[in-house]
Amino acid sequence: MGLDIGFFEAFQLPFMAHALVTVIALSIAGGIVGLGISMRELEFISDGLVHAVFPGLVIGVAVGGTAGLLPGAVIAAILASLLFTVLGRRAAVGSDAAIAVVLTGLFSLGVVLVSRQSGYVSQLQELLFGRLLTVTTAQLWQIVIVALIAVIVMVFTWRRQIFRAFDPAGFEAAGFSALRTDLALTIATALLVVAGVQALGVLMVIALLTVPMAIARLLTRRMVLLVPIAIAVPLGVSVLGLWLALDLSVRVGAGVSAGALVVLLLVAVYLLVVGAGMVGGRITAARRTPSEGATA
Amino acid sequence: MNYFALAALELGLLGLLSGIVGTLIVLRRRSFFAVALSHATFPGGVIFAILGLNLLFGQALFAVLLVLLMAALSRVRGQGQQVASGVVLSFGFALGTLLTGLNPGLGIPVEALLVGSPLSVTSTDVVVTAVVLVVALIVMLCFGRRILLHTFDPLGYSAAGYRSWPIELVVSGVIAAGVVAAMPAVGAILGVAILIGPAAAARLITPNVLWIAPIAALLGVASGIGGLWASRAFDIAAGGSVGLAAAAVFFLALAARTVVLTVQARRRAARSTSAAAPFESAVAAA
Repeated sequence: MGLDIGFFEAFQLPFMAHALVTVIALSIAGGIVGLGISMRELEFISDGLVHAVFPGLVIGVAVGGTAGLLPGAVIAAILASLLFTVLGRRAAVGSDAAIAVVLTGLFSLGVVLVSRQSGYVSQLQELLFGRLLTVTTAQLWQIVIVALIAVIVMVFTWRRQIFRAFDPAGFEAAGFSALRTDLALTIATALLVVAGVQALGVLMVIALLTVPMAIARLLTRRMVLLVPIAIAVPLGVSVLGLWLALDLSVRVGAGVSAGALVVLLLVAVYLLVVGAGMVGGRITAARRTPSEGATA
Repeated sequence: MNYFALAALELGLLGLLSGIVGTLIVLRRRSFFAVALSHATFPGGVIFAILGLNLLFGQALFAVLLVLLMAALSRVRGQGQQVASGVVLSFGFALGTLLTGLNPGLGIPVEALLVGSPLSVTSTDVVVTAVVLVVALIVMLCFGRRILLHTFDPLGYSAAGYRSWPIELVVSGVIAAGVVAAMPAVGAILGVAILIGPAAAARLITPNVLWIAPIAALLGVASGIGGLWASRAFDIAAGGSVGLAAAAVFFLALAARTVVLTVQARRRAARSTSAAAPFESAVAAA
């Protein structure tokens, strides 16, 4: 049973080429920012940012149509970064409950705003699930530029991020500002969310932020290899996922979400690596050695 | 009973449930667990919609499956609960999205599954919520003191000869039941809003741990009914409106607390300077 469209032939289609460049940009930025998230265990905050960008998208569309998506998302992301960084540092309520309330609150705001508009359900679904196969040239540029900015923020604060993650007390004693470093990381995460949201949708961006680095940390214990692995795995998986999505769409005649397929493949790789590690006994062996990572 | 009264009843019951489930989530810091759990019910709802079965049971089944998966993944070294929740969450959403896309003609109520629709809850949903509420109440009457001890002094708890895992199991079960009961009304994304918001607000209002649950229940009912009213008055999505009301209650409590603390601090500062004044003048005289 051969596929209807050849592999290289498929990516010569303009919309597939756009999708390909999108996933390349997102994979590279995701690998770099993902290390920061993983080292500091900011997965819940990333979840919060993902939800917080939603009202920004809705307001952006309401004000400026499709062209308003990006500015709306960027503004919401930066405001949310400030909010979450501050909430994360104040443990008055138990910061996790505060994050949960802000996350659902902001998302509710988005739902309420979108429900005031016509075509409510289809708009909601589009923003939630994204459309990887219909990325326009303008959107592609936006995604590449925003992802690039996220990478630049990480590269410039890289040494501080690592210092802060491994020795928070020493970091403050050396006179660095923890608040500023945290804010830089949160903003880089937020920008990556913004970049990914139009292609993958609000909810599946979380996979891009957390799963590649989780795979990398299972595969290697060497710091230098973490980022390359976290870039290479989603890249390979995305190319395969795009191709499969096209093939399935042609064959079934239904709209197969390319983003969903990519995320499912990524999770499948993760589960395979976990399973292989358990069978190979690497994980139990690693448990016996003293921890090297920032998180035990 | 008309649909509006049914919605009000459901949201009122969920508000009361917030007093128990929300308080447990907030005091035991299980928010990310609850959020991931509520999100993970989405594919269960989609699958049961495709099969033509009751959505709520699909969501409950998937919640149990994914909680087990999460528990297994969080035992993998160097991964932790947050990574496990992230993986389970993205897996659930991707699966739900893919299945929805593959079955376009079936009229899967994606919107209701994700953001809830209080105005279309059925009497079965209300009965399920009521049963969960009663069971949670009974569990708290039986184990409440032990859960309290385990929450605030886990070391003392094990030193007293109790085992931890039954408590963890009971608490996880109550939280999961509460989250699933909230699904028809507030959906997979906003599911925890009505549960966590009022309890987090109650935690800010009172320093007394015994008062948190009743205040949370009161605030929960208020935000449920208030949200429903706002959705009718301003013609906005009811699920989102309830979520927004719960968040608003939390922020009002946060603002009130900040004001009270500032006033107290000022008063204390004023008192201490006036008390210190005679001493200072005596020192100056000497």
